[in-house]
Amino acid sequence: MTAYVIRRVLTGLLILVLLSMLTFVLFNALPADPAALTCGKNCTPQVIEANRIRLGLDLPLWQQYIEFVKGLFAGRTYGSGTATFACAAPCLGYSFRRGEEVTPLIINALPTTMYLAVGAFVLWMITGVLLGIYAALRRGRWQEKVTLGGALVGYSFPSFFIGLLLLFFVVIRWQLLPYPSYVPPTDNPVQFFQTMILPWITLALIFAAFYIRLTRNQMLETLSEDFIRTARAKGLPERTVIRKHGLRAGLTPIVTAAGLDLAGLLGGAIIVESVFTLPGLGRLAVGAVVDSDLPVIVATVLVAGSFIVIANIIVDLLYAVIDPRVRLSA
Amino acid sequence: MGKAINRGLRLAAVVSAGALALAACGGGSSSSEGSAAASGGGSAEGASGGTITMLTNAEQWQHVDPQRMYTGADIAFFSGYTTRTLTQYAYAAGEAGTELIADMATDTGTANEDATSWSFTLRDGVSFEDGTAITCADVKYGVSRTFAQDVITDGPTYAISYLDIAKAEDGSSVYKGPYATDGNDAAAFDAAVQCSEDGKTITFNLNRSVADFNYTVTLPAFSPVPAAKDTGESYDDAVVSSGPYKISEYTKGQKMTLVRNENWDKASDDYRPAYPDQIVVEFAQDPAAMDQRIIADAPEDQATVEYGNMQPENLATVFTANDPRFEGRTYNGYDPYVRYTAINTSLLPNVKHRQAIVAAMNNAQYIAARGGDFAGERADGIVKPNLPLDYAPSGIWDDMYGDVIPAEGNPELAKKLIEESGEPMPDLTYQFPNNPVDEKIAAAIQSSMAAAGINVTLEPIEPGQYYGIVFDPEQAKELMRSGWGPDWLNASTVIPELLGQTGGFNLSQVQDDAYEAKIQDALKILDRTEQGKAWQELNKEAMQNAWVIPHLFGKAQAFWGSKIGNGFLWDAYGSLAFGDLYVEQ
Amino acid sequence: MSTDTTVPPAAAPPPSVSGAVTGLSLRQLAWRRLKRDKAAMFAMWLLVAIFLTALLAPLITNLLGVNPYDFDLTSLDPAQGSLPAGPWGGASLDHPLGVEPLTGRDLLSRLLFGARVSLFIACTAVIMIAIIGTTIGIIAGYKGGWLDTVIGRTTDLLLAFPFILAILALSPVLTQRLQAMGLSPESSRVVYLVLVFAFFGWPYLARLIRGQVLSLREREFVEAAVANGAPTRRILFREVLPNLWAPIIVYVTISLPTLIATEAALAYLGVGIVEPTPSWGKMLADSVRYFAVVPTYLFIPGTALFIVVYAFNVFGDAVRDALDPRTGRNVR
Repeated sequence: MTAYVIRRVLTGLLILVLLSMLTFVLFNALPADPAALTCGKNCTPQVIEANRIRLGLDLPLWQQYIEFVKGLFAGRTYGSGTATFACAAPCLGYSFRRGEEVTPLIINALPTTMYLAVGAFVLWMITGVLLGIYAALRRGRWQEKVTLGGALVGYSFPSFFIGLLLLFFVVIRWQLLPYPSYVPPTDNPVQFFQTMILPWITLALIFAAFYIRLTRNQMLETLSEDFIRTARAKGLPERTVIRKHGLRAGLTPIVTAAGLDLAGLLGGAIIVESVFTLPGLGRLAVGAVVDSDLPVIVATVLVAGSFIVIANIIVDLLYAVIDPRVRLSA
Repeated sequence: MGKAINRGLRLAAVVSAGALALAACGGGSSSSEGSAAASGGGSAEGASGGTITMLTNAEQWQHVDPQRMYTGADIAFFSGYTTRTLTQYAYAAGEAGTELIADMATDTGTANEDATSWSFTLRDGVSFEDGTAITCADVKYGVSRTFAQDVITDGPTYAISYLDIAKAEDGSSVYKGPYATDGNDAAAFDAAVQCSEDGKTITFNLNRSVADFNYTVTLPAFSPVPAAKDTGESYDDAVVSSGPYKISEYTKGQKMTLVRNENWDKASDDYRPAYPDQIVVEFAQDPAAMDQRIIADAPEDQATVEYGNMQPENLATVFTANDPRFEGRTYNGYDPYVRYTAINTSLLPNVKHRQAIVAAMNNAQYIAARGGDFAGERADGIVKPNLPLDYAPSGIWDDMYGDVIPAEGNPELAKKLIEESGEPMPDLTYQFPNNPVDEKIAAAIQSSMAAAGINVTLEPIEPGQYYGIVFDPEQAKELMRSGWGPDWLNASTVIPELLGQTGGFNLSQVQDDAYEAKIQDALKILDRTEQGKAWQELNKEAMQNAWVIPHLFGKAQAFWGSKIGNGFLWDAYGSLAFGDLYVEQ
Repeated sequence: MSTDTTVPPAAAPPPSVSGAVTGLSLRQLAWRRLKRDKAAMFAMWLLVAIFLTALLAPLITNLLGVNPYDFDLTSLDPAQGSLPAGPWGGASLDHPLGVEPLTGRDLLSRLLFGARVSLFIACTAVIMIAIIGTTIGIIAGYKGGWLDTVIGRTTDLLLAFPFILAILALSPVLTQRLQAMGLSPESSRVVYLVLVFAFFGWPYLARLIRGQVLSLREREFVEAAVANGAPTRRILFREVLPNLWAPIIVYVTISLPTLIATEAALAYLGVGIVEPTPSWGKMLADSVRYFAVVPTYLFIPGTALFIVVYAFNVFGDAVRDALDPRTGRNVR
């Protein structure tokens, strides 16, 4: 087991390093001149040159990457002379467009994204798994058809379309909620919930559809396996059979998918954050793209990618705990 | 306000497509009203106390650093609260709002005979928020920061072009600002900006006659900065106030709070009424939500002002319905901008070709795509009637090109002009920042040109890179989206900038020596009315040369909560006179 | 790897196809099963109709006398900020679905022409994904060894990449590069979308195929072929590939709607086709600004998009069921 854990973590780290390299190279090598993107409009060649040196963009790419990694762990200093400024670890870079360090930008945006992702996650896991079990138990009957049909409908909606529909009907037409305007829950919990409820529902609708189908399929597959039949034959009540055996055995793929989906969302729910103007990572990233703000783009891609890689590791480890066969085959 | 168009755009473009208001969608139902349509009646004695809340969909201020600030409304805001300058404009509606008055100086400045040297004397009692007195050295230090072009980006550069400091071979100033260490000619700067013995009087020595230099110093770029507190790049987040308020909190993406500055001496400032106790700016607001809050006018929102443009769909509700709910809560008049398309003369040297392009333009489609009546009216040049001395109808649409050109364009005339040019019209490319409004305009330009048989390819550019690309002669194509507003109320900040050889915004790449000579002559005219006439002629000549397609004299609309007093369109900056606002008690 | 934009292929239930049933009979069986599924057949014919409409869009709009590019200022109300004049988004005999705010361009014809772009991008991308994914999957599965490891790590890496964000961020840079290569601004954007979809789409399929090939390699008929000294190419094309078409088809039908929705989502975020060309995503993105006052403008492309995606999902589901000999509708 230990060997497996170590190996899994190591490959995960390798992927993380590769990810950071790929991101760094993609965004720093492809633009014609990253230095040209750092200065404002009344930009002269002299300013571009000065910024190139100040930001270390005159160095070869591999050296820039090393500087970047160094900044991440030890912090770094930009520029020289009186206009020097330090960027403390973990330094994800400096955004010239915004005149700010990138790390605090990310840290400020993270809570919003986390509230969004976790709230939606809870909502969709509960509805998805429960309805999935329900569909499995009503197999072949109309209830199953309705549940699955509904799931397919939800699954087919583009998220921004659902979001806008909800916004249009709930807020504008029926005026059931005030116009969403994000505040941190600590400032004004009521407004926070009023703002977050539609984004949560939007995400939950889309993801729940998938989990309904997944849960149902898993249930049906495990319920047809021998050990369940044995359990039934032992005379255990049906409820116990489903909860103790059916769900547990069918859990692994659900855990996998859930972990990865949650991680994906933590990297920024770009669309939903845009539709509901939530100041999270996704919107930070979109704004950076519009502004061609390279350091912020690189950082958001990296953070989002890291979530996925880390989630992958955790999920695989969980997998090994839940299902011992994995360890052996690995 | 000069380069503000792209600023506003940048901020707006940060948010999703859904949040983007028409970038400068403005204009009233009746176009002749101009600024006179401002309601609220203008400046009146207000009540002290209360909190004014401002809502904006921007994530943060473009810049708070005075030397880097360049957007009209931003200047109107900070000049009212935290940033004192030598001179400023009076708080009044209509033309009275363009009157130059003394702020930190005792009067509006003294020039020598040929206006190559200007002096201003500071009033007694002016101080920073920490109580230290503001001296000439602080103003001088503030001005010096503009020269540090690699740190102090985005601000106006009039200090560099006007002050009598030699230029290096590469065209940059030999003085590189206060942060530079080696190879920096600080003595040159000391000679150009001099302080009197008592530290009260500052003298600017200029490299040319600048008849309106006392208007130039209304720009916050000429405001004082304490050298000891200057942190260069990050001064943007730690600005030291010289006005009646200071920044107590500034959290980007969330809010800014201004509270009273105890060290501001009312006796030293008879310009700012400083009515409210607090000003709160709420960032990152959803545009639709902002409109809804102010329309609804709930008690907690009655002292609320919207910073930026209204959503187009709400304009009709607020402006055309004659709804008593909105009486005295709106304005609708000229914004500072002229919107035009720059025609790249280096790629289109044939004047008949350029005239054909102008003749083909269907500005009715342009105006519709910008939001119809609210957008403004068809422009006839690059000088707008908000510069009353400098504006005269150019006659471009009458028969300057040999026939009348209606708002729908005159494709027949365009075809005729192409024939007369003796060369086939090349295929054109139109470059524009990729955002929902500009792409509709791009479609309008393409379809206008198609009607005259001119082929236009559309090239959208990421907004953050737009100016980087169109200002690169290698990458600039034939047609480029553009817009401009004056830096102060003189066409000297329009025509030389847009069409002069040293102009900072010469997208058309005009290199016409005769025209340049006339510009230089006009700049030297000290009689403002005479100078205005010269600008009128130069505007007309520019239209004859078809260096731009004039599209629109933009209008702007704003509205605010029912408890806000002194809401009116301030012509000086084409925005509210923020410093004059008060909360009705 | 999933984003909220749409459920990406990774999140779709992995098609459990046991590939080693003899090709022909399975195909017939599957088709027979599929034909019995009324919903699936309806979805299929609906999709055929939509593809035909898209293909014939110029013909249809000509017959109707509408055109997606012409401004019609008479259908707008300048006093209302250039919003469509009249209820239902300015719907009239001239413009059955109403007009676009600010320009007065006809929405019906833009919807029809928009389908062409959206479907073209998705279909081309999915073909590329199928080719690349299958090839790489076969190589990884059949060759094994270090090649398999490298491909495995590459897929891991790409799957960890937040691809919506990456597509968004790379767009200005790469479209400029494509333009520098001589493409028009418009075609450079289409090519870009197809390329990035293919780039981020193949790993899922490659993984799937690799697994299939791994198990196929152990089968008797392949081993027999190897023992008989058949050249590798022959084994791959004659013995292995024919047994992979089931997972490929299933994957394609699942991916297509995802790609269509993703294209729309990207357009919503500003990465899309250049004016004046319409696409569904672009229409949706544009309509968002008016959805409070001209809701029909949002509903029209939104509903169209939903119908296509839903039809594909229904059909894709049925295809998967039909191709899965072990389960069939009731168990799977």
